[in-house]
Amino acid sequence: MKRRSFLKALGMGAAAMMSPGSAHAARNRPPLRYLRPPGALEEADFLARCINCGQCGEACPNRCIKYFSIENGLASIDTPYITPREKACILCMKCGEVCPTGAIKPIPRETEAIVEGVKMGHAEVDKGLCLSYQGKTCGVCYRACPLPDVAIRVGRLEQPHVLDKCVGCGLCERSCIQMPHAIRIVPRHG
Amino acid sequence: MRSDQPFFLWRHLNKLRWVSLSVVFAMLVLLPYLHVYQTYVAAHAYDLLAPSERQVYGVMETLTQPFVGDPAEDLDAIKGNTWSGTFWGLKLSDPLAAFGQMAAGLTIYWPFWLTALIPIALTVVFGRFFCGWICPATFIYELNSNFASWLRWAGIKIGNRHFDKRIKYGVLALGLILSAATGSVLIAAIYPPAIIGREIYYAIAIGGFGAGMMFFIGTLLFDLLVARRGFCRYLCPGGALYSLLGRYRLLRIRRIVETCNDCAKCNAVCEFDLDPLRDGFGQECNNCTACIAICPTNALTFAIRPTDYPAQGPGHLGRRYRSEHAAGDESAAEHREAA
Repeated sequence: MKRRSFLKALGMGAAAMMSPGSAHAARNRPPLRYLRPPGALEEADFLARCINCGQCGEACPNRCIKYFSIENGLASIDTPYITPREKACILCMKCGEVCPTGAIKPIPRETEAIVEGVKMGHAEVDKGLCLSYQGKTCGVCYRACPLPDVAIRVGRLEQPHVLDKCVGCGLCERSCIQMPHAIRIVPRHG
Repeated sequence: MRSDQPFFLWRHLNKLRWVSLSVVFAMLVLLPYLHVYQTYVAAHAYDLLAPSERQVYGVMETLTQPFVGDPAEDLDAIKGNTWSGTFWGLKLSDPLAAFGQMAAGLTIYWPFWLTALIPIALTVVFGRFFCGWICPATFIYELNSNFASWLRWAGIKIGNRHFDKRIKYGVLALGLILSAATGSVLIAAIYPPAIIGREIYYAIAIGGFGAGMMFFIGTLLFDLLVARRGFCRYLCPGGALYSLLGRYRLLRIRRIVETCNDCAKCNAVCEFDLDPLRDGFGQECNNCTACIAICPTNALTFAIRPTDYPAQGPGHLGRRYRSEHAAGDESAAEHREAA
C-alpha cells in the first residue's frame, strides 16, 4: 500500500469513527441468526410481553433455550433464543405452558395445533452443499423432521423439498451431516 | 411490668426472617439443579454422563425420590424465581413485572396482571415485606452489610454517605418510561431480585453469568464503598413501587413510648435508615423486625392501623424525659434513680 493511500484510509477511518454515523455503522454488522421459542409472538410484541423471567428455559427438557446478554442489543437483554445448529427445539410445547405473560403462546402438543400455531422460521436447502443434490443419497434432514411429509418431503436420491407447513424447529439443521450445514432455518423475525 | 408488653414472639421474628430469606435463596439454587436433573432423566442419559454430572444426578435423585414418581413431569410443579414463578399451577409474579410489562406494551394483559394480584394484596396489607422477607438480593445485601461492619470494626474506612431516599421513585418512573420508549421490559435489567434469580439459573444450568451479574456486583460495591444498603435505600425501583403500594399498610411497627429509653439502637440497626426512635417509620419500612429484635427494653411492637403514630416525644425511661419531668415529680424521679 502506498503511503498516501494508507494515510487517506487512516484519515477516513478516523473521520468515520468521529462522525455520528459510526453508531449506525456498528449496527450494520450482520444480524445474529436465532430463533425464538415455539409459539413466540411477533418480535416487537414478544419484546413488549417478555418479562425475562427465564421460566421457558427452566421448563425446556432439551435445554435448547438460551438467553441473550447484551450481544443482540439492549432491548433483547435476557430474552430467550435458540441456536438450532447447537441444539434445536423438539416441539414439546412446555415453554408456552409456563410463560406467565403469553409472550410464548400456549399451544397443545398436537400436529394440527403446532402446524397452525408455531412459526419460528422456515427451513431452506442450499443445493450446492446438500449431499443428496450432489448425487450422494443422504436424507438425514427428512428423518430428523418431527413433521415428515407435512413440513418436508424427499424426492429422487432423498433430495429434500421443504414445504410451506415447516414450523422452523431446526431439527433438520441440527442433524445435517454437512459442515457447513446444507439446510438452515431462516428465522421469521428476519 | 406494664400490660402493653409486646407479644414475646415478635422479638424472634427476625430469626424467622433469616430462615425465610435463606429458604428462598436455597430454592433459587436448587431449582436449576433440579431442572438439569430433569433434562438428564428426560434424555435417558445416565450412562453417557460425565462423573460430575452423575454426581448432580445422584444428589438430586436422592433429594427428590421420596416425593416424585416421574421426575421429568412431577418436578415441573415449582418453576421460576421471585420475579415470576409457578407453584403447583399457581402463577405468581412480582408487581414490578406487571407494571413494567404494562409500560413496555402500553396495554394491560389481564392474565398476567392476575398473577401479580396476590403479591399486590399482600403488599397493601403488610407493606414492603418482600424487601425484607423474600428478596434474594436482600439476602446478599444484608450479608454484604454485615461484611461492611466487620471492615469498619477492623478500622477500614467504609463509605457511609446519605442521599435523598426519593431518588428511587425517580428511578422507578424513569425505568417505566424507558421500558415504554424501547418497547421492552428494561426495568427487569436493573432490578436485583430479578437479576439474581436469572443469574443463578444461568450460572448453574446454562454455564455462565450474564451481563446482569456485572450490574449486581456494581450494586454490591456501591453498598460497600459509598452508602450502606445504598441500592435498596436510594435506587431500587421495586422498593419504590412496594413503598407506594404499602403506604397505608395495616401492619406496622409502633414504639411504646412508656418503655423506650432513647438508646437509639433501633435507628442504628435499621437497614433502611428510618427513624423508629422518633416514630418515623413511614412508607418505606419493610417490617423486617430488626429493630424489635434489638430493642433492650421491649419498646417496639406491632400495631394494626393504616398510618403511623404521630411523634410521641422522648421515651419515658430516657434521660431527657426524666429531666424534663423531674421538677414536677421529684419523688418519682428519686425513686427511679434509686432503682
